[in-house]
Amino acid sequence: MPRARRFSVGRSAAVAGRVLAQIRRDRRTLGMLFAMPAVVMLIFGFALGGQVSNVPILVDNQDAGYAASVGANGTALNVGSHILDSLRADSAVSVTTGSFAAGRQGVDSGTCFAALLIPSNFTQVAFMQAQGRNVSASMLLYIDGTKPSIAANVLAALQGAVQNSSRVRGFSLVQQYAYGGKFSGLDVSLPSVIAFVLTFLVLLISLLTVSRETTSGTLPRLYTTPLTAIERLVGYTLSLLVVGIMMVVVVLAVGIGLFGAVVRGDPILLFGAAVLYTLSQVLLAVFLSNFARNEFQAVQLAPLIALPSMALSGMLVPIFSLPSWIQPVSKVIPMYYANQLFEGIMLKGYGAGTMAFDFAVVAGIALLFLALALTTVKDRINA
Amino acid sequence: MIECQSLVKEFKEGEIRAVDGLTLGIRKGEIYALIGANGSGKTTTVNMMTGALAPTSGRVSVLGVDMPQGKRLVSGRIGVAPQEYSLYSDLTLEQNAGFFAKLYGMDSKRFRKRFQELNEILRLRGREHSLVSNLSGGMKRRASIECALLHEPEVVFFDEATVGIDPVLRAFLWDYFRSLRSKGLTILLTSHVMDEASKADRIGLVRAGKLVDEGEPSSLTARHNVSSIEEVFLKLSGKELTDA
Repeated sequence: MPRARRFSVGRSAAVAGRVLAQIRRDRRTLGMLFAMPAVVMLIFGFALGGQVSNVPILVDNQDAGYAASVGANGTALNVGSHILDSLRADSAVSVTTGSFAAGRQGVDSGTCFAALLIPSNFTQVAFMQAQGRNVSASMLLYIDGTKPSIAANVLAALQGAVQNSSRVRGFSLVQQYAYGGKFSGLDVSLPSVIAFVLTFLVLLISLLTVSRETTSGTLPRLYTTPLTAIERLVGYTLSLLVVGIMMVVVVLAVGIGLFGAVVRGDPILLFGAAVLYTLSQVLLAVFLSNFARNEFQAVQLAPLIALPSMALSGMLVPIFSLPSWIQPVSKVIPMYYANQLFEGIMLKGYGAGTMAFDFAVVAGIALLFLALALTTVKDRINA
Repeated sequence: MIECQSLVKEFKEGEIRAVDGLTLGIRKGEIYALIGANGSGKTTTVNMMTGALAPTSGRVSVLGVDMPQGKRLVSGRIGVAPQEYSLYSDLTLEQNAGFFAKLYGMDSKRFRKRFQELNEILRLRGREHSLVSNLSGGMKRRASIECALLHEPEVVFFDEATVGIDPVLRAFLWDYFRSLRSKGLTILLTSHVMDEASKADRIGLVRAGKLVDEGEPSSLTARHNVSSIEEVFLKLSGKELTDA
């Protein structure tokens, strides 16, 4: 009776050797194996290592100051000015001065993160407090509540500035949140999560779908038919857009239906923004698929794009927290504009007019990828 | 109908010369068999004839139009059944045929009629709704031929169309090719199976990208004083292993 075969290290080694030989043969994959972890680590390292700085805030210092006689010497002070100087010296914030109303408007339109109003009697009250009088003065802070981590940094900067001015003990700060309130962590995360899901999955599915034509051997046959390269490209785009729209519906349904994502703006506008962004990602995939020789190579491109996008688009860390030399890079990442659109419509309730720039940029990106796809698409065997 | 003049195709910046100065002419309504060992440049030649591959130098024309420049002018008049089945295995036979019919601009009525007709001839009736992945090798081959013939082309390229199929089916396909020829169709087929070539009207023997001899099967065997095309091939190739 034949004996059962024992486990053979040699056979396992043969399988391992064969797999490694295949990987070694595919130079693009080999390059990716080393380049991808290094690139991702570098990007995340730089992105997460930064500190919040230069958050734009507007200060309306109405403090009239107070001249009081203490002992033999008269003392004139303006605590508001001290706070203002202290904030100016703090690199965490970038201070401009102006009317509180203009500051509010700036916060509402997204050009400014917070507006601070220091009341006219602020120093006077500080003196009265020093004399033991039971009075208080309130500063008013109108702040963007959609980015809790930046808000915390602005509040810390303000607290530090008040402490530096030393005279005020029991100061009170009235906080008003823009866009209708303070948002939960989930609320503020969902817009960028939606952007990430659409970036990663639409790219992945699109790349796999298009590259399957190459690996299935049907592409050379298509080259012999009257189908032109542009017709083929448009066909891919249309079909993938249909798939992408279905993904948008699922993502929004789960986000809004299950997690109760806040949508202060127009849901139709949100859907339109998601579809436009999806189109840009589909076109990116169609363009990139011209360079992938097989599905394995294609599938590696999705994380190579999605992971840096995640780190640099403001999803994980606010753009303000990125090192200043990286911040301009964020502005060329499509997902940054998707974040802006989804956050603007969902949390800030912006309409199409306010979001026109971001819509135009995403549409421009889609056109750019379309142009790149058109110029690189092939109508015969690559040789 | 099909003409090649000093046709050359190089790969890897000249490192590989797959087709090396090939010159041949194929007349309307004939079955021409391009015979050669694996790697002799047959598929590369067909790819250049169909416009799927650009030559490095030389000229190739089909239906009087230079390829690949004039591909758009003639692609609707040629049919191609590639060496690989080149069908969408996750679609049904009907979906595959329907897709190619649309690429050739066939309307639904014409497609239905032609699809039924070809299913009957190629013995694919009853498998219209089968996934291509579930068809046997022979059926896939016939399905691929069906997709090449749907739009009633004037010239058809069958690249190794009869390779890997059983003798009964092969005999049937040859009968079918002859019936197509009698209707005026020009057929170029490639094969590395020598005994098949004797069924063609003319044969071109290819070796290392060069046409080493050409003629009617009977004249070829007479010229080389042998009894079969295989012997002609072996004589011309010096019995060397030419498989790339």
